Amino acid sequence: MQSSEVVIETRSLSKVYRDFWGRQKVRALKALDLEIRRGEIFGLLGPNGSGKTTTVKLVLGLLFPTSGQALVFGRDATDVKKNERIGYLPEESYLYRFLNAEETLEFYGRLFDMPAPLRRQRIADLIEMVGLGWAKRRQLREYSKGMTRRIGLAQALINDPELIVLDEPTTGLDPIGCREMKDLILRLRDEGKTILMCSHLLADVQDVCDRIGILYQGELQELGRVDSLLKVRDTTEIRATGLSEACQAEIRQVIERHGGQVLSIGNPTTTLEELFLHIIRESEAHPGRRVRGGAGNGH
Amino acid sequence: MVIENPLPHFAEWFPAAAASWLLVVGVLIVAALVLGCLVSVLRYGPRLGFTVALGTAVSGVVDLVCMSPRRVAALSWLAVKEAIRRRVILVFVLFVVILLFAGWFLDVGSSEPAKLYLSFVLTATTYLVLLLALFLSAFSLPTDVKSRTIQTVVTKPVRPSEIVLGRMLGFTIVGTALLLLMSVVSYFFVTRGVSHTHEVLAENLRPAGPAVDGRQPLSGTTESSQGHRHRLFVDAAGKGVIESEFGHWHEIQVGGTSDKPSFEVGGPEGMFQARVPIYGKLRFRSREGVDIDRGINVGDEWFYRSFIQGGSVAAAIWTFSNIRESQFPDGLPVEMNIEVFRTYKGNIEKGVLGSLSLRNPRTGLIVEVKVFESKDFTPLFIFVPRKITEFSGADVISSKRETPDKGVEFSPPQNLLDRRLAERKEFDLFNDLVADGEVEVWLRCLEPSQYFGAGQPDLWLHAADASFEVNFFKGYFGIWLQMVLVIAFGVTFSTFLSGPVAMLATVGAMIGGFFSDFLTRLSQHAVLGGGPFEAIIRLVRQENLMTELEPGLRTTAAQMADRVAEAGLWVIAHILPPFTEFNYADWVAYGFDITWDPWIVVPALRALAFLVPVFVAGCFFLKTREVAQ
Ligand SMILES: Nc1ncnc2c1ncn2[C@@H]1O[C@H](COP(=O)(O)OP(=O)(O)O)[C@@H](O)[C@H]1O
Ligand SMILES: [Mg+2]
Repeated sequence: MQSSEVVIETRSLSKVYRDFWGRQKVRALKALDLEIRRGEIFGLLGPNGSGKTTTVKLVLGLLFPTSGQALVFGRDATDVKKNERIGYLPEESYLYRFLNAEETLEFYGRLFDMPAPLRRQRIADLIEMVGLGWAKRRQLREYSKGMTRRIGLAQALINDPELIVLDEPTTGLDPIGCREMKDLILRLRDEGKTILMCSHLLADVQDVCDRIGILYQGELQELGRVDSLLKVRDTTEIRATGLSEACQAEIRQVIERHGGQVLSIGNPTTTLEELFLHIIRESEAHPGRRVRGGAGNGH
Repeated sequence: MVIENPLPHFAEWFPAAAASWLLVVGVLIVAALVLGCLVSVLRYGPRLGFTVALGTAVSGVVDLVCMSPRRVAALSWLAVKEAIRRRVILVFVLFVVILLFAGWFLDVGSSEPAKLYLSFVLTATTYLVLLLALFLSAFSLPTDVKSRTIQTVVTKPVRPSEIVLGRMLGFTIVGTALLLLMSVVSYFFVTRGVSHTHEVLAENLRPAGPAVDGRQPLSGTTESSQGHRHRLFVDAAGKGVIESEFGHWHEIQVGGTSDKPSFEVGGPEGMFQARVPIYGKLRFRSREGVDIDRGINVGDEWFYRSFIQGGSVAAAIWTFSNIRESQFPDGLPVEMNIEVFRTYKGNIEKGVLGSLSLRNPRTGLIVEVKVFESKDFTPLFIFVPRKITEFSGADVISSKRETPDKGVEFSPPQNLLDRRLAERKEFDLFNDLVADGEVEVWLRCLEPSQYFGAGQPDLWLHAADASFEVNFFKGYFGIWLQMVLVIAFGVTFSTFLSGPVAMLATVGAMIGGFFSDFLTRLSQHAVLGGGPFEAIIRLVRQENLMTELEPGLRTTAAQMADRVAEAGLWVIAHILPPFTEFNYADWVAYGFDITWDPWIVVPALRALAFLVPVFVAGCFFLKTREVAQ
């Protein structure tokens, strides 16, 4: 699925929030280098306040970088043209509460260049897809958090985008909703779309992402394929067939001689949660450590 | 009616106005570019700064050119929806409630109820609509930024120009609909409110002259209604006439038998007018008989009217041009409304005597056609017939003018005066008094030590009557222009200010705009008492406006500071829209026709001249702003 075409590229992207008087308030993002390729699901992971949303907003041109650059489809992030190929689901669904579901999709749909019949077709399909057919005439002010999330997602997909940016896609969803959301993300990837999602929920990322970057206090701490990141290198797990009794006894002996106890043999995977806590401990022990995510890195 | 700043006609106005618009806009563009570069350089350093500033300017222009009507329509639709959701209709309900209460306290018994009613509804509409426009426009974008809904919108392929224009259009649509609704309700409120008839009781009428064919001519008064009655005559043929009173009359049908007549009186007529005035150019003649531009000042702070002294040769002279026989075949209908300033009280019940003369500016023939009695600001109507047989005097005089370069000039020259012209018993308006369409109307005060005061629009020719209904809606056009300006300013301010601050800024612009004429004069050094700093000195030292300040360092410093302030004031006066110019409420209320040229065309173009730069500014502010901050 994955091609070598770079969809999002950031070059030492930094953001400093300033107050009204121009005084520095928060250094939210520090020299982020990232490349996201067509067809992959990239997860930005990090605790609250680590700069995930800031990164996403810089990529979308909602914020202007303090230094560095963000490129989307090879164009500057502030270029409006790129938005025709992007779908964005914000952290919370920022939608007009005085509109109903249909009006919402109608409004956002009209902002794109598409023929009216196609727009109507897509609105119907999306409402069907997010399962809000029963509430499509109700104003969003009456919606529950999960329902708003669903209509937010539908809104992000109205233009059949090539790149989908999801900020905490599963917050506010019930377990079934979460599962559906993740299945949907995988399905979108299978359709060839590129997905950038950020989350503080490890489970989400672990289940769906091809690659992840871990942000902590505005710095990229870890970057790589989920499967390789979760491999615990100082532990060996051996699972094998076709070993002779003698061989196995030999191995056991070796282990026992070293005071070990055999459970099974092989490279186990850790949970992301452990990896995550480990990174945070590391980062606090060695402040300033940072991973650069330039070309080829992290594969 | 007071017209402090008469508007020039489109053809006279446009070339100079367009040039000065281009100048101001050019200056603003350059200033904005310089400022933009400066900010950008401070932020990104000198090397990147210029590139960023230029890039922004170029893509801003692209934004303006590449607006998509479909997206603008979608965003306008959103603004309309938002306004409806914010219960704009309540404003209309409030308006209706105000009208219901007003029905109690507006006195239909006053001498000009139509004027009262019209002024009231137009003023109430103006305030309500402008307030609504202010709230809608100033709070919309900031609310969107605060609730972050704007982030979902700008991540679609939407340009800032489309957002700004969409808001402006959407709120204009809402305001227009509301204004239309209010104007229709107002129209019925006013016409119903002052509508009345009078009863006529046969027993209250007295015979007026001998009977003809057994029918008796009758005279008397109607019964009182809305605080007044009319005199009425019924001739022997049974045709009734009701005299005009309180600005209107009624039709009357006489029926029944000759001994038991019955009367049927219709609704008020002539209450709602749209008189088409022809204005002249006003000059004065001093007590010494010399032409001057202004008369005497009797101590008013307000210089709108100037005064002529009674019992002297002083006169206020209006020169009318393009007076054609085809337009006034029967004579000249002169209407006036002059101020009477008494230096002694005299008989306050009686007016002060004055006279009206017509003069031929070519031959110098002047005919005093009417001597009248004038009370302060009571409208007077004098019809000068085509054949003037009744007049109180005729003469031949030349006007005298002194100019520094040409010295004393007489027009016509005194040796060319033909005294025989004045020795006739009958004059023809067009053959004797109008020369090449030009005629002068001279107003004199006949009582020594009393004064008449007049401004240019205080005496005019009643050329025709236009449709009141059309005029009424033209009055709403003025309100509409003000509303659109408020919306534009509100939206533009709200692109970079928070809601309440944007609202204050818009109110500031409106108030500044109301005084923009004063600011212009202040900046041109044409206000007594000097600029702001000089005025502070005068305030502190309790000096009046006329005295020279004592020379010294302080005075010089203040006057220097004023020169600087004047430049700033000039800019401000040219950036703020002159709101008073769009206010036609008085025209409708006083019953004057709002002519297309200049009163509709020129203000509409002026409003446009403000709207375009304000819109462009709004686009740039929104573009250079981080909406997610
Ligand atoms: N508008 C803002 N003004 C000032 N500081 C902000 C603003 N938005 C975010 N921050 C700060 O920037 C940091 C990163 O925030 P954010 O990107 O929202 O984190 P995340 O999405 O990973 O939870 C936080 O410390 C947050 O407080
Ligand atoms: Mg976040």
